[in-house]
Amino acid sequence: MNSPVRLLWLSALTCNGNAHALLNYPDLEHWQHRFEWLYHPLLPSRFSLGELLAQQPECDILILEGTLDSNFSKAGKDLTEWIEIFAPAARAVVTVGSCATFGGIFLEGGEGRSGLHFRRGERRDAYDALWEKSISLPGCPVQPEILASTLEMLAQETPLDLDVYRRPLLFYGTTVHNGCTRNEYFEYKIDEHRFGEMEGCMFYEHGCQGTYTHGSCNRILWNNVNSKTRIGQPCMGCTEPDFPTTGLWETRKHMGIPARLPAGIPKRAYLSLAGVAKAFHIERFRRPILDPVERYDPMKEQE
Amino acid sequence: MRKRVELIEKIEGEAEVSYTYEGDRTVDAQIRFLSGRGIESILTGRPPLDALAITPRVCGICGHAHLIATVRALEACYPELRISPKAEAVRELTLTLELLQNHFKWLYLTIWPLLFPRESVTMKAVEPSRIAAEAIALLAGQYPHNSYAIPGGIVGEITPLERLGVADRLERLWEIFRREIADVQMQAFLRCDRIEELQRKEGDFPRILREILDRGWERLGCSHDRFIAFGSNGLFVSGKSLATRITHSLDLRHLREEPVEGSLALHVLYRGKVYETGPLARAMLRKTPLIREAHRRWGDSLPTRIMARVCEIPHLLQYAMQLTRDLDMDAPAWIDPGPLPAQAQGTGIVEAARGSLIHTVEVREGKIAEYRIVTPTQWNLGSGPADRPGVAQKALIGLHRDDQAELIFKSFDVCSVCTTH
Repeated sequence: MNSPVRLLWLSALTCNGNAHALLNYPDLEHWQHRFEWLYHPLLPSRFSLGELLAQQPECDILILEGTLDSNFSKAGKDLTEWIEIFAPAARAVVTVGSCATFGGIFLEGGEGRSGLHFRRGERRDAYDALWEKSISLPGCPVQPEILASTLEMLAQETPLDLDVYRRPLLFYGTTVHNGCTRNEYFEYKIDEHRFGEMEGCMFYEHGCQGTYTHGSCNRILWNNVNSKTRIGQPCMGCTEPDFPTTGLWETRKHMGIPARLPAGIPKRAYLSLAGVAKAFHIERFRRPILDPVERYDPMKEQE
Repeated sequence: MRKRVELIEKIEGEAEVSYTYEGDRTVDAQIRFLSGRGIESILTGRPPLDALAITPRVCGICGHAHLIATVRALEACYPELRISPKAEAVRELTLTLELLQNHFKWLYLTIWPLLFPRESVTMKAVEPSRIAAEAIALLAGQYPHNSYAIPGGIVGEITPLERLGVADRLERLWEIFRREIADVQMQAFLRCDRIEELQRKEGDFPRILREILDRGWERLGCSHDRFIAFGSNGLFVSGKSLATRITHSLDLRHLREEPVEGSLALHVLYRGKVYETGPLARAMLRKTPLIREAHRRWGDSLPTRIMARVCEIPHLLQYAMQLTRDLDMDAPAWIDPGPLPAQAQGTGIVEAARGSLIHTVEVREGKIAEYRIVTPTQWNLGSGPADRPGVAQKALIGLHRDDQAELIFKSFDVCSVCTTH
C-alpha cells in the first residue's frame, strides 16, 4: 500500500467555515484513509503548531484557508514564514475558500490583506514561485465534495484543467445557474419573484448572480440535499474574485436590463431571446405550482 | 513568581493563556486573542441587508446564530413588522439544529481527546453534525453559511418534503445520542434529577463523568457562580442568576465592553460585573433538574459545566421535534415588510451554542452607520486584572496541575474567531 498523502492545513484570518464544511463530506471516514493530517484546525492531527515549527516535517499538499494578512502571526511566527517553510517541498498548494484565494470578505477589514495570488481579481506576485503548483478552490465556503475530490486527484497525480484563476474547470467550468430548480422562470423570462415562494427566479430583481458565477452549487448539492437558489436565496457570487459585491439582494440595472448578463452571452443575443420569450404569455408560469383551483392538466395542453 | 505561556489550539483558531504561579499554584491566567478580522468595520457603509450575507461569516461553527441575530436586529429597525408562525418556527429549528451540531462536535472533538487521548472518536462528532447540517440545508439551502432568513420571514417555501426530511433526521440524532452518549429514555431524562441514575447508564457521557469523579476533579474550575442569558424562546428563558437566585429583568443599556490589554478581544460586563453565559447559565435559569442537582453538589465546576452542555442535547432535540410536528404549513413563509427605514436602530438577541449573542445595527441614510456584535465568548473568555478576573480566568486560578487547565479552559467551549470577530 502507498504511504498516505500528508496534508497540512494552515489557517490565516478565517471563520473556519471551510474546515467545518469538509467535515460534512459524506464519506469523510473512508476518504481520510488515503491521507494523513499533519495539521487540521479541527481534526486529530499528527503535530501541534509548536511541533510543526520545531520539526518542520515535509508535507505533500499545503492547504491554506483564510485571508492573508501581513500582520498575522500564528504560534508566534508570521504567516509568510509558515508558507516559506512548508510550501517549497509541497507537491501542491491549495487555497480553500474565497478568502485564501481572492481575499474574500475579510479583505476590507484591515490593511495588507489579500489572497495568495490575488487581491480580488488583481494578480499579486509575492508567491509567484508557487503559481505553477497552486490550485484555487474559492467558495464561501468551498463545497466539501470539491475539496475532497481535488485532494484525491492531486494524490493520484491526475491532471487538473484550470481556468485563469487556477480554479479546476471540473467544478468551476459551469455556472451556479446550471441545475437550479428555478431555471424555467429564467428561460421564459418570468421576471416576477417574491420571497417565500417556490416559484420565480431571483435574477431580475433580487440580485441572483448564479448565471455568471462559476461553481457547482446546483450540480453537487449542498449537504447532499439542497442549494441556496433552490430554496430561494439569490446566489451571492461567492466563488468569484469580486465577492462580496455591494447590494447583494438587488439586481443592478441599466435602462431596465440587468447590468450583468449570463456568462459569455452577448447583450444582443440576450435581448433578442428575452424579447421573444416575453412576447408569450405562458399560463403555467403565472400560476402557483401548488394551485389547488385550476390544476394544470398536462394532457390537455398537448392536444 | 514563575510564568508560563501556553498556546491553546483547535478552538476555532487559537488563544494564548499566560499563567502566573506561586509555587505550583496558578494565581493568574491572562487570556489573549491575537487576531481579529474587523467584521464590524467591514459592515459599515454597506446596505443593511448585506449584513445577512456578511455576519454568518463571523464563524464556521455558529454562523447561523449570527444570521438570526442580524435578521432580528434588522427587523427591530421597523416600527412594526410581522412574521408568520411558520417562518418563526423554521428559524428556531435551524438555530436549534446548529446548537446540536456544536454540542456533538465539542464533546467528541474537544473534550473527549483531553480525557481519553488514545481513543479516536472523530466519527462520533462527524456523523451527527453532518446529519444536523443536512437538516439545516433542507430548510435553509446550505450549511455552513446561508442567508435564508430575511426581514419578514424566510426566503423560500417549506413543503411536507422538507419537513419529513427534518423530522427523520431528528429521530436519527436522538438514536445517536442514545447509542453513543447516554442510553436514556427521553421523557424520563428530561425530568431526571438523579445523577447516580445517569451515571449507571451505558454511554460516553456517564464514562466521562466517572472519569472526572475518579480523578477527584469534581470541584475544579469553579468560577463566579453568576449567570446570564439574554435570549428567550420556547426552550430558554432570559434573566440572570446569582447562584440559584434568579431575576428576569435585564436591560441592555447596562452592557459595557472594555478592552483587554494585549488582546484583540473585548471583555463584556453587565452593570460592571462579569457573568457566565451558555448552556450552564441557561440550565440554571430554566431550572433543569439534573443540572441544578449537579450545581448543588459541585458548584459551577468542570463536571457541572460539561453536564450542562451535553444534557442540553435532549432538550434541544425535543424542542426541535415539537417545532417540526407543530409547523403551521399553511402560513406564509414571508410577509413583505416593505423597505427598511432609512434611519433606524435595532437589536437582535439569540441564544447561540456558547450563550447569548447580541447584534446591534444603526442605519443612517439607508446604510449601516454602525454595527456592534457582542459574542458569548466575550462574556466567558474575557480577561481582567487578577483581582477582577473574568469567568474562565477565575476558573483557571488556583489549579495545581497543568493538565487540568486545558480541560477547564475548553469546557467553556471557546470560539476564538467569535471572540474577536
